[in-house]
Amino acid sequence: MSTLHDRAKRLTSAAAYAGSIACAVVIVGVLLLVLADLVRRGAGGLSWAFFAADAQGEPAGMRHAIEGTLILVALASAVGVPTGVLAGVYLSEYSKERWLATPVRFTADVLAGVPSIVVGILGYELLVVPLTGYSAWAGAAGLAFIMIPIVARTTEEMLRLVPHSYREASIALGGTKSQTILRVVLPGASGSIVTGIILALARIAGETAPLLFTILGASMITRDPSKPFPALTHQIYVWANSPDPSRRDMAFAGMLVLIAVVFAISLGIRLTVARAQRRR
Amino acid sequence: MSRGTTAPTPPGPADPGQTGGTPLKLRLGVVSGDLALGLLCRGAAALVLLMLVALVGLLGHAALPSLRAFGADYFTSAEWRPNELTRPLRGPDGRVVVVDGERQTETLPPRFGALPVIYGTVATSLIALVFAVPLSLGAALFLVRVAPRWRAAAPVAFLIEFLAAIPSLAYGMWGAFVLVPFLGRHVEPLVFRALGDVTWLKFLFYRDNPVTGQSIRIPLEGRDMMAGGLILAIMILPIVTAVARDVLRAVPRSQIEGSLALGATWWQSSRAMLRYGRAGLFGAVMLGLARAAGETMAVTLVVGNRVEIVPSPFASIQTMASLLANQFNDPVTEVHRSALIGVALILLVISLLFNIVARSLVVGGQSRTALSD
Repeated sequence: MSTLHDRAKRLTSAAAYAGSIACAVVIVGVLLLVLADLVRRGAGGLSWAFFAADAQGEPAGMRHAIEGTLILVALASAVGVPTGVLAGVYLSEYSKERWLATPVRFTADVLAGVPSIVVGILGYELLVVPLTGYSAWAGAAGLAFIMIPIVARTTEEMLRLVPHSYREASIALGGTKSQTILRVVLPGASGSIVTGIILALARIAGETAPLLFTILGASMITRDPSKPFPALTHQIYVWANSPDPSRRDMAFAGMLVLIAVVFAISLGIRLTVARAQRRR
Repeated sequence: MSRGTTAPTPPGPADPGQTGGTPLKLRLGVVSGDLALGLLCRGAAALVLLMLVALVGLLGHAALPSLRAFGADYFTSAEWRPNELTRPLRGPDGRVVVVDGERQTETLPPRFGALPVIYGTVATSLIALVFAVPLSLGAALFLVRVAPRWRAAAPVAFLIEFLAAIPSLAYGMWGAFVLVPFLGRHVEPLVFRALGDVTWLKFLFYRDNPVTGQSIRIPLEGRDMMAGGLILAIMILPIVTAVARDVLRAVPRSQIEGSLALGATWWQSSRAMLRYGRAGLFGAVMLGLARAAGETMAVTLVVGNRVEIVPSPFASIQTMASLLANQFNDPVTEVHRSALIGVALILLVISLLFNIVARSLVVGGQSRTALSD
């Protein structure tokens, strides 16, 4: 009897083992299928004009949108990176001030989960309505809103990995708190903080929802941040809804560019981390 | 932590006495450096708090007029109608009232009930969980207990993390141009042929006409709740898998080795592992749920965008997020705008709740395992 029972147990186990492999195969398969479709469709829309012309050109391109995204990301990180890093330093180095540090950490976690469409509505209420209207300022503020909690929490975690003995050594040599933070702690974690910032940049470059109600979009190259502004994701969304097939091809090509950037960043980080681990 | 270092002799941190021998100017510079950095860091931290306060406060303030105007009706009405509706006036017998040979009409004021979009969000998120959670848990087990033997863990993990970083708009476009036509042309007609004649499944394929009350076929076009749920499932697969893997990896080895030493099979020890990490795994699911409920771009492109409650997965619907994406850009009236911000507020509160529960579970689970190590 017990052997029969054993055999049943072993069969169940083998089935579960196979099941877990099947789950992984299905997930990887579906995701690769999605990726392959996107790459195939996107490659068809890529051309010289795509990078050289704006939406009004003949043939049309996405240069205005690519530049728009670069400017928006630059504006957002001008505010988001320093604020996020400083908040991260506070969470790690001033964590004795529990009355402020604990709620701030909790808030940063909560903010990281706010749906991005809600951030777009906040941008509209806070900056588009009281000011003169749709602008790159409002869009960049929305992106910074998304960026700050991510950068703050990554910075905190990376600073916590710096050994405590470094801080003690710095203080023992007569370093003040600010000297210890600026010359010892931050440089000790700078590589991984930069990695975190790059990931946050990739994330906000791919955001659409916060831009829907803040930048409005534009069909040519714009440099004035107080005017309606183009962005890659926004243009992709508009053209994906277009009845014109050539516009839709262009939307897929734009998406392929974004995906390629994300892939390059992921791969780059992966390789750097692997090399750093091997050296250790 | 670091055993080699003995505590340095005082002075303590930031003791100005340490710089006693230096000129006053330098000392002032050092002290003000501490002060400045402290102020900057506290300012940045306070700004994070302020961001949440501004978010809740401003949205609450802007949503108040509509909440006050519609009251409980806002949460219980299934009608979302930004415009006035003029329709033939019907008498108590259901016939159109005719006076002097002319049909009489009645005009209904705009009405804003959030129930249909709440329903849409809940339904698509649940469909997403049904498909994604079993697959993700299975794959997480694979990554922790099978893949390391084949050296497959790193490449699979890379792929999953990369796909989690792809913009959600990409999934939406794939859904709109690949998944929706596939569902509409192949899957749904097949389902109808197989189940269309079953009496108790009529609700899947038929709905009541809102005006005449007659039963009509739901057009099987693929732009529906099912498409929304499936695309959300694909989108949350990477995040749920990644978090579940981290949770399972944090289960102490001794737990597994102990059960294996007692003669447990692979599945029995895996079940012990899942049971040990159940709080964290539940947190992973909640994170996926929060992601699904707040997702905008992917859903907007595939759900058909009709604000109504039809209890069939093949009917077009609208979620809270997709309603905002579709209507907030040009609201008909101020009340309409206020009502939309009310929807944003509900969405915000729901996702905050999910996130808080998820974080406390995942973090709690990990710290517990860290203690027992």
